[in-house]
Amino acid sequence: MGLGSYIGRRLTIAVGLIFVVATLNFAILHIAPGGPEAVLLQNPRITPQARVLILKSFGLDKPLHEQYLLYLKGLLTGNWGTSYFYLQPSFDVIAQRIPATLLLMIPTLLLTISLGVLLGVFSSRKPFSLLDRAISSFAFFFYSMPAFWLGFVLLTIFALFFRVLPAGGMTSVTATTFNFFDYARHLVLPMMTLTLINVANFALLVRSSMIEVLDQNYIVTARGKGLTEQMILYRHALRNGLLPTVTMIGLFVGFILQGAMLTETVFSWPGLGLLTFDSIFRRDYPIVLSLLFIFSTMIILSNLITDIIYGFLDPRITYD
Amino acid sequence: MTERSGRSGRWLRGLRRANRGALIGIAFLIALIFGAVFANYLFPGDPELADTSKDRFPPSLTYPFGTDYLGRDQLALITYGARVSLIVAFVAGAILAIVGIITGLMAGYFGGKIDGLIMRTADVFLTIPTLPLILVVVMVMGPSLVNVMLIIGLTNWPSMTRIVRADTLTLMKREFIEIETVMGASPLRIIFKHLLPNQISTILVYTSLSIPVVILTEAALEFLGLAPMSVSWGFMLNMAMNYWITGAWWLTFFPGLAIFSTSLSFYLVSEGLKEALSPKLKRKRESWSIQLAAKRK
Repeated sequence: MGLGSYIGRRLTIAVGLIFVVATLNFAILHIAPGGPEAVLLQNPRITPQARVLILKSFGLDKPLHEQYLLYLKGLLTGNWGTSYFYLQPSFDVIAQRIPATLLLMIPTLLLTISLGVLLGVFSSRKPFSLLDRAISSFAFFFYSMPAFWLGFVLLTIFALFFRVLPAGGMTSVTATTFNFFDYARHLVLPMMTLTLINVANFALLVRSSMIEVLDQNYIVTARGKGLTEQMILYRHALRNGLLPTVTMIGLFVGFILQGAMLTETVFSWPGLGLLTFDSIFRRDYPIVLSLLFIFSTMIILSNLITDIIYGFLDPRITYD
Repeated sequence: MTERSGRSGRWLRGLRRANRGALIGIAFLIALIFGAVFANYLFPGDPELADTSKDRFPPSLTYPFGTDYLGRDQLALITYGARVSLIVAFVAGAILAIVGIITGLMAGYFGGKIDGLIMRTADVFLTIPTLPLILVVVMVMGPSLVNVMLIIGLTNWPSMTRIVRADTLTLMKREFIEIETVMGASPLRIIFKHLLPNQISTILVYTSLSIPVVILTEAALEFLGLAPMSVSWGFMLNMAMNYWITGAWWLTFFPGLAIFSTSLSFYLVSEGLKEALSPKLKRKRESWSIQLAAKRK
C-alpha cells in the first residue's frame, strides 16, 4: 500500500468516527427522560395547540429516522440547533469561543512539547539518574492531580498572596484593543497549570522512545566509528527517536483539551471550557451537545493530522 | 518464612519489599475508609448545618481545615465527602473491571468477528473524549449516584479490555491451554479455570491504576456542577469558587487536597502491587494511560 491509500484509510476512519459521535449525540437527546420535548411538557402555560406548533417548527413531529436524517443534514450545514440561553444558533455561539480556547491551547501545546522533548532527551542520556527519577515521580504525581485544583493552588500563590498575576480572564477590563503583554500576563497561570499536568508524561514518552533508539545497531556503529556523544545524539538518535512522539501529539491535544475544559473555568478564560461550565449551569442542552460534537471532532482531526504527518516523516512505515 | 508461602504471605512480603510509597498509600486509604464509615461518630450532628457566626474561619486547632462560607466545619464535610468518592471509586472501578474482563476474554478467546466488533467499539471509546461525553450523559440523565457510577464505569473499560485481551492471546499459545483444548475442555472451563486465574494479578494492578481516573472524573463532574450528593469534594470546590478570592484559600485547598491524596494513594498502591506481583514490569516507568495510548497506534 502506498502513502495515498494510507491517508485515504485514515480519512475514512476519521469520518466514520465523526459519524459515530453525531449518532451518539442524537441518541443522547432522545434517551433523555421525556426526550427533546421534555422542557415543553413541563411548562404549564403551553397549550396543546402551541405544543403542536412548536414540535412542527423543530421537526419533532416527524418519524424518528427522518428526524435523524434532518439532524445529520443540520450538522453538515452548520444548523446545530438554537441555544436556550443566548437564543442564537449554537454554531455561532461556539464559533465565537473557539479563538480563546486556541489562544490557550496552542501556546500550552508548544510549551509542553518543547519542554517535554528537552527533559525526555536529557533523562534518556542517563537512565535512572537523579533527573530521570525526578521526572518519573513528577509524572505520577501530576497523573493523580486534579487540574482544576492545581489551578486554584497557583492562583492562591500568585494572585492572592503575592498579587503578581491577574486572577482570571483573558484580558484586563481596561484593555480596549488586543494587547499582547496583557494577554501574556493572563496566560501564564492557566498555561502553567496545563503544562505541569502534562509535561512529565510527555517527557517519559520521549525518554522511552530515545532509549529504544540508543540501543539500535546503527548507534553502536556510530560509537564504534569514534563519533562524539553529541554527534551521536543530535545526528543519529534524535531524529529517529522523536518520530514516534509525533503521533503522541494528537493524543496530548486531547489531554490538554479536556484539561482546558476544567482550567478555563478556574481562570474564567472565555473559551469553550467556560462555555461548557456555564451551559451546564443553565441546562442549555443544544450548546452542551454541540460542544461534545466539537470537542470530539477536534480530537479526531488532530489524531488524523498527526497520523498523516507521521506517514510523511517516516519512510519505513508499512501503511497497514 | 517458609510456612508463610501461601498466597497472602507472598503478597504481603512482596508489598513489604515494594516501595514505601505503597505502604503510605495503604495507610492513608485505611484511615480514609475508617473516617468515612465512622463519620457519624467522629463528627456528631448534621455536618451540613449552617452557622453564619463562624463564616470562613481560617484553619485553627478547633477547625483544622477551617470553616466554609456557611460556617460549616470543613474537616467534617471532607470526612463525610469521602463516602461519595470511595463508593464511586470502588463501584465504578468494579464496573469497568468486570466489563473489561468479560469483553477482553471474549475478544481474546473467540477471536474473529467477535474480536473485531469488541475492539472496534473499544477504539471508538478511546478516541471520543470521555469527559465531555460523561458530562452530557450525566446532565441529560440526571446526576444521581447510580448514573454517575454507571457512566464512568461504562466509558472507561476499553483499556482493561486491551490488557486482558493481550494477556489472553499470550496464554492461549501456552502448552497447557493447548492440551486442555485438544482434550476437549469446554470454552467456559478454559476461560474460568485457566485464563482468568492466570490474569488475576494483572487485573488487580490495572483496576487499582484506573481508580485515580475514576476519582478525578467524578471530582470533575462535581466541580462542573453535576454533583450526586450535596456533600462531596468536587462540589465543595464548585461552591468555593465564588469565595476563595476573598482570601479564604482553605476553601479550595483542602477539598482538592483530599481528591489529590486519595487518587495518589490508589496510584501508589497499584505501583506497589505491580512491583510485588510482576518484578519484570519494574523497569516500565511510563504512566499507564500513556502506555495504553501508545499501544493504540
